Amino acid sequence: MKKHLFKYMLMLLSLMSYHSMAQQKRTVDFIGGARSVLSNNNIVVSDSIPDTTTIKRNSGGYALIDLGVDIKPNKHTEILGMFRIRNAYGGFWGAGVTFDVRQLFLKGVISDKVRYQVGDLNLKQTPFTLFNHHADRLDSLPSVFKLQNDILNYEKFYRDNTWRQQGVNVDFGFEFAKGIKELNFTGYLTRLNATDFSSIPERLMGGTRIQLIQSKNLALSYNGFSVFDVKGTVLDSNTYTNNVNSIGLKYLYELNKNTIVFNGEAGRSNVQYAEDFDKSYLADYFINASATFNWLKKNLSFTAGYLNVGPDFRSIGAQSKEIDYSSLTGYYNRYTNDQIIRPISVMDLIVGDSLYATSVSTKLNIANPIYNNAMPYGLATFNRLGAYLKLDYHNEKGIQLNAQHFYLNEIRGQGTLKLKQFQVTKLTAQFEMDKLFHFQKRMNIQIGLMNEMTNRNSDVAVEKVDLKTMRYQLGAEYELFKKIDVLAGGMFLNCKGNEFIPQRNVYTTVSFFEEANYNMTQKIIAVGARCRFDEKIHLTALYQVSEYNDKLIASPKYSINQFALIYNMTF
Amino acid sequence: MKKLFTLLMIISVIVSCRKDDTSFDGNNIQEMYSDFMVLSTFKVDKDSLDFANGEKAVFSAQFNKPVSWKISIKGQTSKAEKIITGQTKFIDATNATWNGSTTVFPMFKAENCIAQLTIDGVADTFQVQTKVKSLKVNQGLVIADFENGFSPSWTKFVQTGANMDFNIKNDTLCPQGAKYLRMAGTVNWDYLIGLIDYPATAYGTTKTLNLSANPNDVYFNCLIYGESASNPSIVLFQFKEDENADGSINGNSDDQYDYQINVNWIGWKLVTIKYADLVTLVNGQPSTPKGNSQHNPDKIGKISMLHLADPSQGFAACKIDYIMFTSAPLEP
Repeated sequence: MKKHLFKYMLMLLSLMSYHSMAQQKRTVDFIGGARSVLSNNNIVVSDSIPDTTTIKRNSGGYALIDLGVDIKPNKHTEILGMFRIRNAYGGFWGAGVTFDVRQLFLKGVISDKVRYQVGDLNLKQTPFTLFNHHADRLDSLPSVFKLQNDILNYEKFYRDNTWRQQGVNVDFGFEFAKGIKELNFTGYLTRLNATDFSSIPERLMGGTRIQLIQSKNLALSYNGFSVFDVKGTVLDSNTYTNNVNSIGLKYLYELNKNTIVFNGEAGRSNVQYAEDFDKSYLADYFINASATFNWLKKNLSFTAGYLNVGPDFRSIGAQSKEIDYSSLTGYYNRYTNDQIIRPISVMDLIVGDSLYATSVSTKLNIANPIYNNAMPYGLATFNRLGAYLKLDYHNEKGIQLNAQHFYLNEIRGQGTLKLKQFQVTKLTAQFEMDKLFHFQKRMNIQIGLMNEMTNRNSDVAVEKVDLKTMRYQLGAEYELFKKIDVLAGGMFLNCKGNEFIPQRNVYTTVSFFEEANYNMTQKIIAVGARCRFDEKIHLTALYQVSEYNDKLIASPKYSINQFALIYNMTF
Repeated sequence: MKKLFTLLMIISVIVSCRKDDTSFDGNNIQEMYSDFMVLSTFKVDKDSLDFANGEKAVFSAQFNKPVSWKISIKGQTSKAEKIITGQTKFIDATNATWNGSTTVFPMFKAENCIAQLTIDGVADTFQVQTKVKSLKVNQGLVIADFENGFSPSWTKFVQTGANMDFNIKNDTLCPQGAKYLRMAGTVNWDYLIGLIDYPATAYGTTKTLNLSANPNDVYFNCLIYGESASNPSIVLFQFKEDENADGSINGNSDDQYDYQINVNWIGWKLVTIKYADLVTLVNGQPSTPKGNSQHNPDKIGKISMLHLADPSQGFAACKIDYIMFTSAPLEP
C-alpha cells in the first residue's frame, strides 16, 4: 500500500512538473520542508532507593519530508496538498515508515467578490470567541530553546493565535462611497468531531464576523461563535451547545502627532446540555476595554486596560488550552522503582509535543498552578476582574522591550466567600548587539522574567492561599564564524506556596478541591552550535541539561541530559 | 475630547454593573478541614443479591463534609473485587450502585461478600455484608469460555517448540467459570507459537456469525492474563469475513480485520474493542483490506486466535478466557 502510494505520488509530481513546464507558466509550486532529528537522552533519578527499574538511556530520531503541491489552475483558484513521509531511525522499509496527508485545502475567489476556502483552515476571531491564547507558553524564548519550540509550533500548526480546523470559510465585503467605508462579512463552519452513530454525536463549530469600518478612526464589529451537536446523529438527545456573541469597538483618536487607540469587546456566553439543562446551563458576560497611547516619535506604546470575565463565562473556542497536563510526556513518562508518572517540567513545555492539542475541545483542560495560575485560559480566563498595563518599546538599533502587569481578583469565591488576588508581571527584552554596537557579526541577547503571585487572605487558616512563582531566562547567540553561530541559554523556575486545585465535572463546574503544596526549583541550561546554510536551512547541535527538584519530595528529583542533532529546512 | 469623555463614561457605567457574588463554587473549604463525622451509617439495601434477575445493590452513607471515599466489595470465596469511588458528602444510588460487575478478577461467584468503606484522612473503616445469590448475566455471543473443553469444530495448531502448553486449565486463577486456556512455549524459529480457529459454523450458523450488521454496535471482548511485564506474548485475533457468503474465505477478495494485543502486563485484564475500530494488519502494520473495505460483523466466517512472540525473546506465556461479542463494552 505504502509502496503504491509513494509511486502514485511520484507520478503525480512528474505530471505536474511536466504540465507546469509545458505551459511555460508557473502554475504549480512545490513547497514544504524537511527535518531530521537525532537525539540521545539520559535520565538521572535521585530517589531514596536507587531507581533500578527505569531504562535510563534513550536514543532515536527520525527523518521526514513534507512535500506540498501548490496548484493555481487559474488566477482565482489555489489548491494545496501536502504529504508527509516520515521514517524513524532504525526502522526499515514497511515498518517505521509513515505516509500521511498533512495539509489539504482549496481556496479561491468567486466573481472577484467572495473569497472561500475549503479543507484545512487556520481560524481565529477575538480573544473571547475563537483564539488560541498559548496561555502557558514561555514568552521571548532564548534562541537555543526557540528552535526546538519552533518544531513543535510547526507540527501543531500553531500560527499566531489560530486553531487548525477542517471545514469551510467564506468572506466578502462591500465598499461605500460615503457614510461608512467598508462592511465585511466572514463566516465559517467546521467539524469538531464526527459521529460514530452510537455514542459520539456529530459536533460542529461555526462563527460569524461582521465588521463595519466607518472610517480610519472608527470600526465596529459583531462576533458570533457557536459549537453544537447535530441532533439525530446519535440516539441520545442530550446535545451540547455553546454560544458566544460579542460586539467590538476600535476608535483611533489623533492627538498631535501621536494616537490613542481605544479597543473594546463585550459579550455574553451560554452553554448547556439539552437533557441536563438544570445541571449544565451556565451563562455570563465579559468586558475587555483598553486604551493604547502610541508615542510614535519615540516608538513607544503604553496600554491601560480593564478586564471583567464572569465566573460562568464559557467559550470553548477561547478557553481550550493547548496543553493537557493530564497527558503523558513523550519519553521518560514514568520513573522511579514504583514507575510513577514523571511530572511535567519546563523542558516538556518547550519540546513535549505529546502534551499539546491540535484542536478545540469541549473538555476544559485543567490549569497547572506552577506554570500559570492567574490566567490559565489567557484573557478569556473566567472569574477574573481587574486591570492591566502594558508597555512596548522597539527601535531601529535593535532594542525590543515589553512589559506587562496584570492585577486581577476573583469575582466568585472558590470554596469560600473570600476572593483570591492575582498579580502577574512579565518583562522581556531583546538586544541585537550587532546593530547596537555596529559589530560585523550577529549577536543577540534575550532576557525574560515572569513573576506571578496568588493570595487569598482569610481569618480561617485553612482557607489561606499564598503561591509565588518566579521564572527567568537568559539567552545569547553569537556568530562565531560566517554563518556559524554559538547559542546558549538558561531558564529557571521557582514555585513555592499552596493552592486549591478545582476538580470539575463534565459540566465544567467545580465538584471538589484538592490542596496542593509546592516548593520546587526547575532549571534548563542549553548550549549549541548552529550552521545556517541560508535563512531557511540550518543544522544545529545541542546539549541541554534540565533539572526538576521538588523539595517537598512529592515527586523525586530528576535531571534529563539530552544531546540532539537537528537538521531543518523549508522550501 | 468630548467624544473621548463620552466613551469613558459609557465604559465606566458598563464596568460598574456587575453585582457582588454571594455564593461560591465547589465544596466549602472550611468544612473540608473540619472534624469528620458520620451523619448516616454505611449500609447496603439488600442482604441477598439476585443479579441474574437484574437486581442491584445500593450503598448509602452520609457525612458532615465532602470526602474522597472508596467502597471495596470482596467476594469471600472467589476473592473477586469491585471498587467504587467518589468525592461527595453522601453515598447513594447516584454514585454507589453495584450491578454485580468486577473490577479485579476473577469474577464473583455465588458467595458471601464484604463491602468495606474507606475514607481519605480517616483511620476508621466501615463494613457491611451482603451475599451474591445469582451472578450477573452478560448478554452476547460467547466465542470461547473453555468450560466445555475444546469444541470439535475448532481447529488447533501448536508448534513443536520447547515447554509448549496449549491446554485448558482448571485452577484458582480462573477469572470466569471454572476453566481457561493457557498458551505458552518457546519457538525460536518463528513468531507463531500456536493458534485456534473458531469457524462461524461452530456457533449454530451455516456460514457467518449471528451478529449485528452495524460495526458500531458490536464489541469484541476477552480476558487476558499476562504472566510478567517482560513477557513477549502477542495475541492476534483475525476476523475473517465471508462477504459473498459462499462458505469459504478468500484472502484476496474478502476483508480481514485484526486486533493485536501485546500482553505486557501482569494479571487478568479485560480487553475490549469496537468492531468498527479494527484495522487490517500486515506484519503488524496497518494495511488496506482486500474486500469491500467495510466492517461487516454479520459476515464474519472465521476468527483465528494466534499466540505470537518474537523468536529471539524466548519463552512466552499468557492465559485467556471469556472471548465474546457484546452490543456494548463488556462489564463482566
